[in-house]
Amino acid sequence: MNEVTWAVAGSGKTQSIADLCASLTPSAARRTLALTYTQTGQRELVERLQRQAPSGPAPMVMGWYSFLLTHFVRPYIPRLLPGRRLRGFDFHGDPGRYAKGAARYIDSEGRAYRLHLAKLANQVSAACGGAPVDRLSRMYDDIFIDEVQDLVGWDLEVLDQLLDSPIDVRMVGDVRQSLLETNPRDPKNKQYKGLALLDWFRVREDRDLVKVSHKSETRRANQAIASFADGIFDATLGFPPSVSSNDDETGHDGVFAVAPEFIDAYLEAYKPQCLRSSKASGKELDLPFRNFGEVKGLTFRRVLIYPTGTIVDFLRTGAPMVGKSACGFYVGTTRAQSSVALVMDERQEAQVPLARWCPS
Amino acid sequence: MITRVRIHNFRLFGDFEIEPRAGLNVLVGDNEAGKSTVLQALTLVLTGRSDGRPATDELTPDWFHRPAVNQFFDDYTTADPQPLPTIGIEVFLDDADDKLQKHRGVHNTLGEDCPGLRLTIEPSEDYADEIRGYLDAENCPRAVPVEYYDVHWRNFADEPLSRRPAGLGHVLIDSRTIRSQRGVDYHTRQLLHDFIEPAERAAISVAHRRARHEISTTYLNKANERIAEHDELVEGRVVEIDFDQSGTSSWHGSIIPRIDQVPFALAGQGVQAATKIALAMSRSAEQTSFVLVEEPENHLSHARLMRLVASIEALAGERQSFLTTHSSFVLNRLGIDRLRLLGPSGTVAKLTDLPADTVRYFQKLSGFDTLRLVLAERLVLVEGPSDELVFERFFRDRYGRGPHEAGVDVVSLRGVALRRSLELCAALDRPVIALRDNDGKDPDHWIEPLRPLLVDGRRQVEIGDPTDGATLEPQLVRTNGEGPLRGALSLDAHDDVAEWMSNNKTEAALRILVAPVTLSPPPYIHRALDLLG
Repeated sequence: MNEVTWAVAGSGKTQSIADLCASLTPSAARRTLALTYTQTGQRELVERLQRQAPSGPAPMVMGWYSFLLTHFVRPYIPRLLPGRRLRGFDFHGDPGRYAKGAARYIDSEGRAYRLHLAKLANQVSAACGGAPVDRLSRMYDDIFIDEVQDLVGWDLEVLDQLLDSPIDVRMVGDVRQSLLETNPRDPKNKQYKGLALLDWFRVREDRDLVKVSHKSETRRANQAIASFADGIFDATLGFPPSVSSNDDETGHDGVFAVAPEFIDAYLEAYKPQCLRSSKASGKELDLPFRNFGEVKGLTFRRVLIYPTGTIVDFLRTGAPMVGKSACGFYVGTTRAQSSVALVMDERQEAQVPLARWCPS
Repeated sequence: MITRVRIHNFRLFGDFEIEPRAGLNVLVGDNEAGKSTVLQALTLVLTGRSDGRPATDELTPDWFHRPAVNQFFDDYTTADPQPLPTIGIEVFLDDADDKLQKHRGVHNTLGEDCPGLRLTIEPSEDYADEIRGYLDAENCPRAVPVEYYDVHWRNFADEPLSRRPAGLGHVLIDSRTIRSQRGVDYHTRQLLHDFIEPAERAAISVAHRRARHEISTTYLNKANERIAEHDELVEGRVVEIDFDQSGTSSWHGSIIPRIDQVPFALAGQGVQAATKIALAMSRSAEQTSFVLVEEPENHLSHARLMRLVASIEALAGERQSFLTTHSSFVLNRLGIDRLRLLGPSGTVAKLTDLPADTVRYFQKLSGFDTLRLVLAERLVLVEGPSDELVFERFFRDRYGRGPHEAGVDVVSLRGVALRRSLELCAALDRPVIALRDNDGKDPDHWIEPLRPLLVDGRRQVEIGDPTDGATLEPQLVRTNGEGPLRGALSLDAHDDVAEWMSNNKTEAALRILVAPVTLSPPPYIHRALDLLG
């Protein structure tokens, strides 16, 4: 049975994949492939799996691009482009807007462009009557996909083929953390990007192709932070309220507003990790910022966030945020275990529950 | 299981294809038909190695099919030069095994979607200039510049392979002399290693290192002290003698099989072959999916060969095997239905529709020289030695040379049923002419049951007219008259020629063979000779 679990930040998504692998692989001798989108995700998954089963046969771990190259494009590319071989992967290249035929997918050295890789995978698959998925279903009983929210565009067509195969596909992700850029050149499944991926899965749930469940217990953020983060999104998205199992008390717990003039004192007192949306925010401050996109998957005791205008609007009005800015702010907020500090002018009134911090 | 092997431009083969059967395949062919080439090609594509060494290291210009190389050099100086020859060896595997799916794809010369492995040897793209320089040089040797060639070993999914793929293990039992100076060849060493459990390997490695260390510290000390007296040469640095600690000096290279206290390399060839087969048999089918056996009859006594053939059969029970042989005995015992005949220029014939009872028939008559039937360029079947000698005499009269010199093999069946022999010839579509006595019956009585096996002008049975006599001897008398024959046989006047001949068949035939008088063949032999023109 195919399953997708939407898991709240800090609920141990990658760990749950590792647990699943461990529970299935040795006993039933299931052949398992674990996929994840990003390089860091891949490394983390490999490490966890090795820790879980230091001696036994660990399941195969692959990045999504390698997966498409190895199991779709490489074995069958001659069926789409006769006489061609796959000679590598062109991560940064761009065939240009008007490239036609093979030149749209393969650079002059025979390497596949990342930009159109998922589409190429689908074209190859169509050209050989779905042989790649048949081959995969003979090789693997289970495929786990970590960070499933990162799949976009033609990736979803590949996923559709997998859902329709005898392979049990189990996916874990959090659409509230979809930060990856979609392909601007590729309008496929545009309507499902970001939070709308929920709708894509809902359609498949109605067709009995996948079971959707939620995991709302976080082990990272305390309840105040978790509830604050829930509030960033519109309730109609249907996420159950997050429940925290972190009840550590540090004397400075929850979400705070800090005036710009007190930042130095705050840093001195709590040593938070400074976060921002991008290098465009907080330019006037000379602080060791990291961007939201870089800290996905990481945990800090405390964070200090320099808000964008959109975030400030949310804080002032309490109206839910949308799109990528909502996801970025959610990622930033949910990195913290004990406290989140937001840089906010004394004059700005907040509609969301915030405590104002002043040096004593 | 291997369903198809394709070989291109490798050694004796320009283009070669064989579709082996499950279980045992007995490869038979004349010398130079490419039996060993098939085994070498299989080893190359299954292991990426030849004689245990990487194909790249072993590659020589001789690997390239000579006619293809000549064609290339002939064309090179014309207006239409062709690309340099490339070698390609492919094994197609059957699709049933899930474990082999990772090797599945369409990267093969048929574009078929199935698992398989492929080894290609091609000019390197990086050396295009050097290759042109080589070819354009004056006095360029007519040999492929292998120094500028790459060996690519991949599966049908186009994934490069670096070591032997799991589930496709093979063992090669060759009959050649042990070449390795280490006393045992690579394949045998692999077999030995699989007997040693991983935990034991670690223990052996530690003990081996400890022993070397002990020798170094106890026995090499004196030598090292002497060296130290001269260390002014190296300016204060310490020079010592020590055992080689590098990977190549590990214990792996030092183990050999021993048979009855005799090191393997010193054991007889026959024992070596038998030992290898015994070692191969004890491996699981998982470790060894394919068994290649080269001419097991070499170096073996008949009794030992019988035992060996029985082992090979047992071994092949669960594994696909390829065996080359020159021995009719081996072929008969293993079953002639398993035969694959390698013909000239890379053709392969296989036996189709051979009745099971005929296979069993030859298994029981394992001494019969089946291979002569199979390999003859042109075949004449006769009943016994006297027919053979008489036929030879008339052949020589007619064509001015003996049948052997003309490529005609005259085989006397000596009691082996003509029908069984013709079934074998028909299954291989071999041309054959058979002669037999009418034994007093109308020829149709004998020919009618054989009709399905015969083809006019290609597979024919010739039988004498009963009115001319029931057997060869009266037929000869009838054709030549008593007088000339009496002279040819140097008989006394009172001897009855036909009776004497029938009582002394072989002696009569020998005398006819050398008789310096003119004799004519009976009409049915005459017709047979016409067909061989």
